[in-house]
Amino acid sequence: MPTSRRHFLKASLGASALASFASGVPGFLARALAAAQRAQERDTVLVVVQLTGGNDGLNTVVPFTDDVYGRSRSTLRLPAATLHRISADLGFHPDMKEFRGLFDEELLSIVQGVGYPRQDRDHDGAMRAWHTADCEARGAPGGWLGRAADLAWNVDGPGVPAAFVGSIPRPFGLSAEATVVPALRSLEELVLREAQEHGSSPSDNPLLEHVRAVDRRARSNSLRLEPLARQDSGAAGYPSFSLAQDLHQAARLIEADIGVRIIYCELGGGGIGGFDNHANQLGNHCALLRQLAESVAAFMRDLRRIGALPRVLLMTFSEFGRTVSENGRRGTGHGEAAPLFLVGGGLKGGLAGPHPSLTDLVDDAPKHHTDFRRVYATVLEKWLGFDARAVLGEEFAPLDLLRP
Amino acid sequence: MTARTTLSRGSEAGPAPADPEQAWQPYQPGDGRPWNLALAAHLLRRAGFGASHARLQQAFAAGPQRTIDVLLRPEADAAAFDRAFDEHEAAAADAGGEHALRGWWLRRMLETPHPLQEKTTLFWLGHVAADGSRAGSARLLQEHVRLLRSQALGDTRILLASLLRDPATLLGHGAEQSHRSRPNERLARHLLENVTLGPGAFSQEDVQEAARALTGGFVRDGRYAFVAREHDAGVKRILGRQGSFAGDDLIDVLLEQPATAERLAQKLCRWLIADEDEPERALIAPLAAAFAHEHDFGKLVETVLRSNLFFSARAYRRKVKSPIEYALGLVIALEGVVSTTELAKDLAALGQELFRPPAAKGWAGGRRWIDEATLARRHNLAADLLRGAGRYGDRLDPHQVARRHGCEREDSAARFLVDLLLQGDRDLDAGALLQAVHGTSGGPAAAARALARALARFPEYQLA
Repeated sequence: MPTSRRHFLKASLGASALASFASGVPGFLARALAAAQRAQERDTVLVVVQLTGGNDGLNTVVPFTDDVYGRSRSTLRLPAATLHRISADLGFHPDMKEFRGLFDEELLSIVQGVGYPRQDRDHDGAMRAWHTADCEARGAPGGWLGRAADLAWNVDGPGVPAAFVGSIPRPFGLSAEATVVPALRSLEELVLREAQEHGSSPSDNPLLEHVRAVDRRARSNSLRLEPLARQDSGAAGYPSFSLAQDLHQAARLIEADIGVRIIYCELGGGGIGGFDNHANQLGNHCALLRQLAESVAAFMRDLRRIGALPRVLLMTFSEFGRTVSENGRRGTGHGEAAPLFLVGGGLKGGLAGPHPSLTDLVDDAPKHHTDFRRVYATVLEKWLGFDARAVLGEEFAPLDLLRP
Repeated sequence: MTARTTLSRGSEAGPAPADPEQAWQPYQPGDGRPWNLALAAHLLRRAGFGASHARLQQAFAAGPQRTIDVLLRPEADAAAFDRAFDEHEAAAADAGGEHALRGWWLRRMLETPHPLQEKTTLFWLGHVAADGSRAGSARLLQEHVRLLRSQALGDTRILLASLLRDPATLLGHGAEQSHRSRPNERLARHLLENVTLGPGAFSQEDVQEAARALTGGFVRDGRYAFVAREHDAGVKRILGRQGSFAGDDLIDVLLEQPATAERLAQKLCRWLIADEDEPERALIAPLAAAFAHEHDFGKLVETVLRSNLFFSARAYRRKVKSPIEYALGLVIALEGVVSTTELAKDLAALGQELFRPPAAKGWAGGRRWIDEATLARRHNLAADLLRGAGRYGDRLDPHQVARRHGCEREDSAARFLVDLLLQGDRDLDAGALLQAVHGTSGGPAAAARALARALARFPEYQLA
């Protein structure tokens, strides 16, 4: 049985960090090394779930006592009695019963009114902003999680800091300059169909030593992944939705404990996305939110079963919210601010920030009060232990969402 | 002559020459630095995409310098081959878009009579690093590659000046509009930072002034258009030079900077000699000086390939194979024809998707090609290519290849494969290796496939 990476981490940390500074490496290298080492000091995992198409925040976390909500949505208005109460004036969508359960257990936080300045209401532009975290288009390379992966990569460490699990093309948020972030449909893709020991004499070729070390890790990973990849998702309590299947694979990747710190999944089918409901929104939105709630709840149960709940944090996002008013076709238009969810074992739980006002709007959409990059800074810095400033290019104040 | 009798361990490649003059002198085999199959294979990996048994033997017989003559000026009609492939590619691009085009380019790499030209075209693709997702048309990408190919081993001045009028380059760097009142700085910055001078060798003012020189350039309906009234014809100051520069003048200004020649020579050394262990400046100086004089990239490539340094231990197995080198090398060595559109998908998963460089600096390459996931996928790709069934069919048949070259018996076939794929880089006991894989049933063909898969998994095999 290969030794656990986490056990190794706990045993060897500190010693290696000190050794590398003593040896007189150039400053820039030492800094890169320090950043990479810092990124490896923890074993926490971030799971990002992208809701493609622009999720209707107002029908997800519903301000049912607000008259404006009732007045603006003649067919899409959700009756108060069907909601799962969060507070005196907010409730989860009727199909999100499981989120209410997670909320009650303080495993779920709702960050309200999230967006960014001069929000782009075009799908591509807005998704690009969330993926790059470069809302001012300063030309930051790649995606925010790709940059995080590049930062976390260490010559001696596990070489796969991030992965996409799903069947759409890998989202741009994971684009890295130097790290090859894999897109996996199944963990089988990392299982070696054949393997062998390569008896070897020491070499003075550093590239050969690198390949040998990676080869040993790949074989060890494969041994860990193989039995996990064959596990049945139904037996583990997952519904049959594709998001649930992807999260089941994500849980196996976490269970294998091979150093993947960032996992990315998607709901909505990519492209323009299933959440983009300009017409007949009600039924479609119900189905999607049910998939989200049941899949995430199954994932959390599974993590609890394998003892990984304390080290996993899941974050949802969508490129924008939607307009307050219905559009006459029982749908809504592209909006701005929306709530996002954080789910996992390390949260304080509860609501973060007020529900945005429905009277102080911008072009019929709620305004944001929390820049999404503050959420990114929180998960990067406080959760993963990465240098958020190096990833985001500037300082964003983290939010107080995590338990110490 | 069989491969075995000529073998010498690769680690016996000559020691690295110390002084610059010696380093770039043409390599002449001699005492302590014998020409052998391992070095022949080294040359054919770096200057192309690997070699078949026949090609290896040919190179071994011809010696290094004669082999390089042919690599630079192939005897076959490369122009006719390229014309035919241009037509295939155009049809494929129209019918199947970017992905089909990738498949055809890979096929061209496999079949070209001029692999050095194709390999150097690939160098330029990564160096120019236009984002193909912005081109909007596979035909523009095809034109882009044709342009790169036309001067890959030619005049870099012509190449760079032509790129300023190449729609895929402009689109790929978000420079499809450059108004006089709002000069587009993106391409100018990329040219200075990544294509010529390198970071730190210019100021923000240089970028702004270079952008003014490029004003008037537009892409409209997939074609380049120069709009004279949008061009700023005023005087610009760039890198200490002054004049009413336009695009071509900008290229001249950039090429006369010593930093440009140094950088291109440096990058070519990384491409041809070693991923790491960057040559020191004094070593680069003679190369850079020659390039600065004529801007002849082919000459630069020729000098490096012929050199003592190239055939020294400082170069031998000092590069990680790119996914393309890994996969095409296997296919070429085993003399098969496989679906390259299928292969293109696998190569994308390995991190090398043609037309989609991950950064403005191109592909990072080197040891970044290999991590636990990409290595597992390499192994599994070799397994798929050599399964004898499935999505790649039974097109690679190592047993047949060995038989064709007179190795009928199982043990001699095994020795043949070891020499073909690893040239004795390790003291492998082919017999024992064969025993190890022989547990699988299916006769000699299956055993040879299993052996080839095992060889492709060796760490040494991941190195170019």
